[in-house]
Amino acid sequence: MLRFVVRRLLLLFPILIGLSILVFVWVRALPGSPADSLLGERTTPELVREYEERFGLDDPIYVQYWKYVKTTASLDFGVSSASHRYVTDELKERFPATVELAIAAMLFSTLFGVPLGFLAAKRHGGFFDHSSLVLSLIGVSIPVFFLAILLKYVFSVRLGWLPSVGRIDVTSEVEHPTNFYVLDAIITRDWPTLKDVLRHLVLPAIALGSIPLAIITRITRASVLDVQNEDYVRTARAKGLPPHTVDERHVLRNALLPISTIIGLQTGLLLSGAILTETVFAWPGVGSWLRDAIFNRDYAVLQGGILFLAFVFVFVNLIVDISYAIINPRIRYS
Amino acid sequence: MSVAELEAAEIQLEAPSGLWRDAFHRLIRNPGAIVGFVFVSLFVICAVFAPLIATHDPVEQDLLQVANGCCPGPSSEHWFGVDPLGRDLFSRIIYGARVSLLIGVVSVGIGFSIGAVLGAIAGYVGGVVDSAIMRVMDVMLAIPGLLLAIGIVAALGPGLKEVMIAVGLANVPIFARLLRGSVLAQREADFVTAAKAVGIRRPTILFSHIIPNSISPVIVQGTLAMATAIIDVAGLGFLGIGLQDPDETPEWGSMLTEVNEYLQTAPFLALIPGTAIVISVLGFNLIGDGLREALDPKLRGR
Repeated sequence: MLRFVVRRLLLLFPILIGLSILVFVWVRALPGSPADSLLGERTTPELVREYEERFGLDDPIYVQYWKYVKTTASLDFGVSSASHRYVTDELKERFPATVELAIAAMLFSTLFGVPLGFLAAKRHGGFFDHSSLVLSLIGVSIPVFFLAILLKYVFSVRLGWLPSVGRIDVTSEVEHPTNFYVLDAIITRDWPTLKDVLRHLVLPAIALGSIPLAIITRITRASVLDVQNEDYVRTARAKGLPPHTVDERHVLRNALLPISTIIGLQTGLLLSGAILTETVFAWPGVGSWLRDAIFNRDYAVLQGGILFLAFVFVFVNLIVDISYAIINPRIRYS
Repeated sequence: MSVAELEAAEIQLEAPSGLWRDAFHRLIRNPGAIVGFVFVSLFVICAVFAPLIATHDPVEQDLLQVANGCCPGPSSEHWFGVDPLGRDLFSRIIYGARVSLLIGVVSVGIGFSIGAVLGAIAGYVGGVVDSAIMRVMDVMLAIPGLLLAIGIVAALGPGLKEVMIAVGLANVPIFARLLRGSVLAQREADFVTAAKAVGIRRPTILFSHIIPNSISPVIVQGTLAMATAIIDVAGLGFLGIGLQDPDETPEWGSMLTEVNEYLQTAPFLALIPGTAIVISVLGFNLIGDGLREALDPKLRGR
């Protein structure tokens, strides 16, 4: 087990280094000098010179890279040219919002996707099965931002059931110690705020989770179908076990294995989908932050944000791999 | 005739079946694939024959239409209504298909040509070359698709060419992995050993024998990549970093950008471009899925 974890961790470093090189090259590929890009338009010659010294833009390229690695490792991503605040500070504010949204979307897609896929497999060939396939295909074909707009239109504009922007009512003056609004509301036992926060979370979570929902439904269905034909299931049934025990103890447990690997991939979808969903719902997370940065040519934010998201993606996949190895002993010894 | 000749004649009487013929027959019996084919044909016809199908000039603004506020809906003159700048929505949708098709085809082409070659070389040569190429692919895959495209467009600047390159590069690692797997699987096959024994040189074996055998998963991936490309392009357009001048070249994604203000008064401004995107993407997904099932060699002879 330990050997597996160590091996996976070692694989991590080349990827992280590769990522940092990619972003390093990227900043230098931007039009203008890196100092111009990272500092934005309204700089002074002094600031530019200070930047150049710090990042050694006159030094040979490997020295530059080393300085870049050092500053990045100390989590100094520079200053946003739009807000003049440290990128790291803004990131700390924005990240919890996106995490909350992503977790909500993940919960939505798993809690609905697994049962739907399971039922579809159980009623293989029937109407439910076919319609679930069609629906998941449509789900994958709808762009996230269009679904977000549709949901907003139906449930906010037309029906008025749910709010359409933000994480919380604009007039609310509640404190948010952890910046995880749901958590904060629960900790302070502020039930009205909790309800408000949850109401704001529903539509974006559904929009963001739609594609993972479609994928999880399909994969669960395929996985359950595969497992159901296995010998050990046939044995369990032949033994006389009641059907639902067979389902729980044998079918479901084994069918869920491939699904956990998919979750790692979903994180990537969630991260990129977040940009679009957050824009539609004006959700103050990393996604809309990046989108504004694109608009404002705020390259410092883009550099820090993309690098950070990529790291998150890689780490989540690492954790998923390790937990999959814990669940499935066969992987450990391969 | 001798027994041998009789048997030979008999064998020839069976209908020749190959992977393609079987696949085709399975495909046309798949209702999803038929629907997909209809959607895609619709999309392609609109794109190719746009000047003939569109009723108005897609960029011509007729501000009189919106003089009383936005926006008059579908009418006999403007089949889909009019956008906030007075442009005919129907024509914009038709011309938008052109942009999506063009970018889709070019970017998938870029992704395939670069990715397939890299992946095939990695799989065939193996060793350090394989590791090096696949590490680079892993790094590219470490950045989620849309973010990668966004990064590339940010570096290269907005514009049609840049978007095509960005979406194309994002496709490279996918094709690379695909071809590498396929080549690895075939490397030890008998026909490869035979070719080597006869003296055919390695590059020729790779390009004339192995790669043609990898065509079926490539075709499936190609159609699915088209679907993703259309969505990615729309996403980039929606974020405002797609084409240089979305006002001049209509693009479905950018049509959805300023829609938020008009949701109450003119929802069709959002619904129609969005539905266009869904139909085209769904079409490619349906065909891709149908092809995947049809080309599955495990079902041969059924």
